[in-house]
Amino acid sequence: MQTSYVLRRLLQIIPLFVAVMVLVFLMVHLIPGDPVSTLLGDRATPDIVARANKELGLDRPLIVQFGLFAENLVRGNLGDSINLKIPVLRLIAERLPITLFLTVYAAILGVLMAVPLAILAAVRRNTWIDALIRAVFQVGLSLPVFYVALQLLTLLGARLGWFPIGGYGDTFGDHLYHLFLPALTLGLNLAAVLVRTLRNSVIEVLTAEYVEFARAKGLRTRVVMLRHVLRNALISSVTLLGLNIGALIGGAVITETVFAIPGVGRLMVDAIFGRDYPVIQGLTLTFAVLVSLVFLATDLIHARLDPRTEHR
Amino acid sequence: MKRLTMLKATPKSVARVTLALAAALCLNQSLAVTRGGQMVYGRYADSLFLDPVLNDANLDIWILTNLYDTLLQPTDDGKSVRPGLASAYVLSPDKKTLTLTLRPGIKFADGSPILASDVKWSLDRARDPNNGAWNGLLDSIASVAASGNTITLNLKHPDPSLTAALATFNAAIMPQKLFNAAPGKTDADKAKAFAEKPIGSGPFVLSEWKRGSYMVLKRNPYYWKKGEDGKALPYLDTLRFEIIPDDSTRILKLQAGEIQGAEFIPLSRVAELKANSKLNMLLFPSTKVNDIIMNNRPKLKDGTPNPLSDVRVRQAINYATDKTALIQLVTFGNGKPMNSFMSSATPLFDKGQKGYPYDLNKAKALLSAAGYKNGIDVTSMATSGSADDQALLTALQQMWGAAGIRLKIEQLDTATKTARYRANDFQMRTGAWTDDIADPSEITGYYAVFGATEAAHTGFKNDTLEKLFDQSQQEVSAVKRIGLYRQIQTLYANAAPTVFLFETPYPVALAKNVKGFVQIPLGYNIFERTSLEK
Repeated sequence: MQTSYVLRRLLQIIPLFVAVMVLVFLMVHLIPGDPVSTLLGDRATPDIVARANKELGLDRPLIVQFGLFAENLVRGNLGDSINLKIPVLRLIAERLPITLFLTVYAAILGVLMAVPLAILAAVRRNTWIDALIRAVFQVGLSLPVFYVALQLLTLLGARLGWFPIGGYGDTFGDHLYHLFLPALTLGLNLAAVLVRTLRNSVIEVLTAEYVEFARAKGLRTRVVMLRHVLRNALISSVTLLGLNIGALIGGAVITETVFAIPGVGRLMVDAIFGRDYPVIQGLTLTFAVLVSLVFLATDLIHARLDPRTEHR
Repeated sequence: MKRLTMLKATPKSVARVTLALAAALCLNQSLAVTRGGQMVYGRYADSLFLDPVLNDANLDIWILTNLYDTLLQPTDDGKSVRPGLASAYVLSPDKKTLTLTLRPGIKFADGSPILASDVKWSLDRARDPNNGAWNGLLDSIASVAASGNTITLNLKHPDPSLTAALATFNAAIMPQKLFNAAPGKTDADKAKAFAEKPIGSGPFVLSEWKRGSYMVLKRNPYYWKKGEDGKALPYLDTLRFEIIPDDSTRILKLQAGEIQGAEFIPLSRVAELKANSKLNMLLFPSTKVNDIIMNNRPKLKDGTPNPLSDVRVRQAINYATDKTALIQLVTFGNGKPMNSFMSSATPLFDKGQKGYPYDLNKAKALLSAAGYKNGIDVTSMATSGSADDQALLTALQQMWGAAGIRLKIEQLDTATKTARYRANDFQMRTGAWTDDIADPSEITGYYAVFGATEAAHTGFKNDTLEKLFDQSQQEVSAVKRIGLYRQIQTLYANAAPTVFLFETPYPVALAKNVKGFVQIPLGYNIFERTSLEK
């Protein structure tokens, strides 16, 4: 794979960031409601709100505020949270690893569930096994995430006591243990999406001529499956996985709330409700960077699996 | 004479005394509390900023009292004050000087002594009009003087709410030296640094804080208050707050024994938890009132005429509200009908208020008299995603519909809703309030007095009421103040600028072995006497 391809893709991300930055800034400042009166609620007199807005520089023209925001950003400073009064960078640094841990964990569990079951369904296509696998995941896909989360918590957490109810833990092993149920919740959802596409592509590849040829050469079924079928079937699923990981990062909000995980998803929701502008802006940029990187990685893996991509 | 004969030592009386002593000892044994241990308490959201003066939200206020101490303290019923860091206070005959005596030998949580100069500095900082939203509570203080263990407050005018103000979180005493040693140039910068690792003189001291996740408080070894066993409070070694935003998860964690307490139990689940033999489902009296706040102005922001400007229409809406049914539907029976704009836990609440009993015929008659024979159309803002608002307004839609009041519901997120009502751009909205100070002046200043917030943005103004309120702010005779507040509440009720609905308690569920926890009507969570019995 050429370095120039990677570099070109990385450079393409820069204009995207500028666009995201301008859009988010305008959006959060143009929607009704300001952080100070939201926070102070009923008790604040207009005087107090005005004074606080002045201290925070929120009374200045939008263009001036944007200039300051952009200037700070160039210096690598995302500003201070208005509600929590600590630097946004610190908040993100504390919470992002937790969300990433959960996302990667969920993706791994999702893939571990999806790949063998998709192959099984494909190999035994149109039998009761195939029907069962597809039906179970179809139901899983249509249930709301918070419902699945609460059911898992009630059954495996409260009733059987196998897993802790929410929280994050302190050590790596603790994280694995605490985050198992939330990762499973998200993983099930991901697996449901993957099983369907992967099953179809496995079926497609299984009937391809080169697989017939490989079989005819006398290769063992397992070798045929791993070397020929799976590698080719995975191409479309990798793109789908990439797209879904992007969605997982932003979509961990509900899971993080139900399982009391202090990740960036929950931080974002709190920030939006509290109109905490610096946090919303900082997190949006972080999400933009992350999603771009995931998409880049997806493309690179895709290119590796299917060398034709690079020359397009 | 009777007393003398009783003291005469006869064999019978000796036996009696011995028995009594034994009984008293036994009682003492059963009263003995268990010391030590860690209690984990599930909160629905984390604190934001732990500075008593510059904080903004209940999330901070309700926890601050565990970290900081005030000169006086609110009593558990939230209606009066008792000594705190000051062991005594005396008001001069002209009611314009309050002299407080600091307890001897009191210390901050780092072991340094609490000096009168710390008190002066803290109160001066708290009453600085440039500092935060709460300085108005200490507005009547002209100057603070400190010498030895005596603090003298010179007042601009007599102030009946001053002692309650000194028992409010923002008047907490902070260590001047440690605060000034915090990094930062301005007071605000120093406050940011200090609030991350605050040192106060409350029963606990912050030892660890992972934002959004948990907060660990350790017992303050220098705390001045003594427990039932004669040793220093608090009983607990550690208090851990875990942040569990989802109601169901908080309850599950409590049921599984992972935490020993959980706040904000949805009222819909109170009955279920009451039936759980492992739990103690408590409903603490609160100052929380729930109402519909109406725009009383003749025209709405968009220029359309507003029927709610007619007092008869507002009264009709009040009569058309079946509070008993609402309490069943929205609070599952865990509420109390309101007869005044203030809660029954607010000092000087007038028990004699009649409020508005449900009377559909009266409602219809009043509407007709106001010229609305065919009824009226009204719109209320609701907080989107709030199950309570949804239940409340749908029920009101039905009730009011029977009287010809056709209600439209407009769902908005909190920030938008706040922005709209602050701009007086609304007709009706759901509203709630809890007092921060053990005095009726705060809620009255917000709801009934025009002032800076135009009577909760209703635009309501009554000149007689304003005069009575001004008078009540300087009236030091308790009896006369009661009379003034009775008149204020009656005037307000008759004008009906809002729809009185119901009071709701603070629902807290605790493990059975948790003893001595109180949430007072002001919302403060008091853990100083909390223990985990074996």
